[in-house]
Amino acid sequence: MSFLRGGAFFAALVALPLFGFEHWVMNLLVFVLIAAVLASAWNLVGGFAGYPSLGHAAFFGIGAYTLGLICKGHEFASPYGPFFWLPVVGLVGALIGWPFAAVSMRTRADVFAIVTITLLFVAQTLAFNLRGITGGAQGLALPVARFPVETFEWPYYYVLVILLALAMGLTFLTMRSKVGLALVAVRADEDKARGIGVPVTGVKVLAFAVSVGLTAMVGGVWAYYQSFIYPQFAVDPLITIAMVLMTFLGGRATLWGPIIGAFILETGQQYLAYTLGGSRFYLIAYALVFLLIMLVLPRGIVPSLVRRRSA
Amino acid sequence: MSQLAVDGLTKAFGGVQAVNACSFTVDDGTITALIGPNGSGKTTIFNIITGYLRADAGHVHFAGRDVTGHGTGRLYRHGLSRTFQQARVFPHLTVLENLVVARGYRLPQLFGRRLAGADLASQLLADFRLEPLASSLASELSYGQRKLLEFAAVLMSSPRLVLLDEPTAGVNPVLVETMERHIRDRHAAGVTFLIVEHDMTFVMRLCDPVIVLDAGRPVFAGPPSAVQRSPVVLEAYLGA
Repeated sequence: MSFLRGGAFFAALVALPLFGFEHWVMNLLVFVLIAAVLASAWNLVGGFAGYPSLGHAAFFGIGAYTLGLICKGHEFASPYGPFFWLPVVGLVGALIGWPFAAVSMRTRADVFAIVTITLLFVAQTLAFNLRGITGGAQGLALPVARFPVETFEWPYYYVLVILLALAMGLTFLTMRSKVGLALVAVRADEDKARGIGVPVTGVKVLAFAVSVGLTAMVGGVWAYYQSFIYPQFAVDPLITIAMVLMTFLGGRATLWGPIIGAFILETGQQYLAYTLGGSRFYLIAYALVFLLIMLVLPRGIVPSLVRRRSA
Repeated sequence: MSQLAVDGLTKAFGGVQAVNACSFTVDDGTITALIGPNGSGKTTIFNIITGYLRADAGHVHFAGRDVTGHGTGRLYRHGLSRTFQQARVFPHLTVLENLVVARGYRLPQLFGRRLAGADLASQLLADFRLEPLASSLASELSYGQRKLLEFAAVLMSSPRLVLLDEPTAGVNPVLVETMERHIRDRHAAGVTFLIVEHDMTFVMRLCDPVIVLDAGRPVFAGPPSAVQRSPVVLEAYLGA
């Protein structure tokens, strides 16, 4: 059942570009996929473990700069070359995330949110000031990819489809294994979970490291797609907020919730900006959509529709 | 032989001396009761013994080892289980999952299938007649059923000593009998119990010995029949 649904979804994603959309549509789809992978990754920590990280954008930026520096020190024969370095980018994100989580996850709830948002601003300040590495406010250029103009977005699109499959696959395995049990126990009552022998610290730090590893890889793809990294966009609080909103909208601690949330919010935002743009009215319309959904489906879309939980 | 020995335990919260140089032992194979008026330090002592609180002074020995300051999970794995006054179960997990998650798995073992190796859990569900509820969410259970579930779950580590904090509070009379039967069953299977309880008829039929606490230290320890005649106990409860 879930395999059928997942198979159909990914078949549709793979087939979508074959319809020959215009560039602006493909560009929109790339950003929708970026949002979907980010929300799915955030869900592992914010959804299952119940740790509301607001620092994920720091790891998005770390991923962007890591790929940027790899490209700077490396001559690629093929424009596909940088993509093969994404696992390294993910590993760098996870390795930085591990010790950070081991310390910050000693705090909980609102304090954890504040500690992680601090990391975000530290990362942003570093991005602006470590000029030797990041180029500071001038930004960091990546090689412009020599993909065919007609299908320029396709490689990014398909790499993001693979990352989405990875994120959803890991979520699925989490839910199917005892890791999922342990994370849900941590979310509900961490002290009690520890008291019945659940390896609380190990499991939540692991979830965080995997989550920010995925986030860093998305940051890498984004940087290569933009071919230029400005610090204010690479480490952007709005990225963090989008991840949280999309996950809550779709339903946290579910497989499909963050994906649905990302598709609705990202397309909704772009569509409203396109049709109501200029007047700034689109931001109000966007907020109205959000308020309406919170009013009608307060627990998020998936949990409200599927009354029984699938977590 | 004593299963549990606390020695000179002391704990203050600000100016309040909750536990005051408290020493007692729980002998192997007993159902020991810990009673006393509200605020006499019963739950604080439970919290210190099971690692949820750190004592200001004193020692806890469990199964012949000094376990003072050991973490809650470590004590649980070594066979020291407890329940809480307000039953603490995981509402988003099913009844069966609440048992499985309490098995004391190490991190590498968590990568196994969600419900694999649930033999002991199924056994406990059967013993506690919770099988019909196995796939219900814990949030759907009544308060009494949650207390039963929490009790069943902490047996997943095959404990030697179980501390029950008011197992019958807020539970209907039929469930009180059920609870009593389960305690007797487990006791017959070799588990030692230390029980905090306010229901005196329950304590008198089930427990021996009874330790009476007042102002953070024991004032009496002996068989239930002697408790009712003890002047110090009357004084503790009635303030005569």
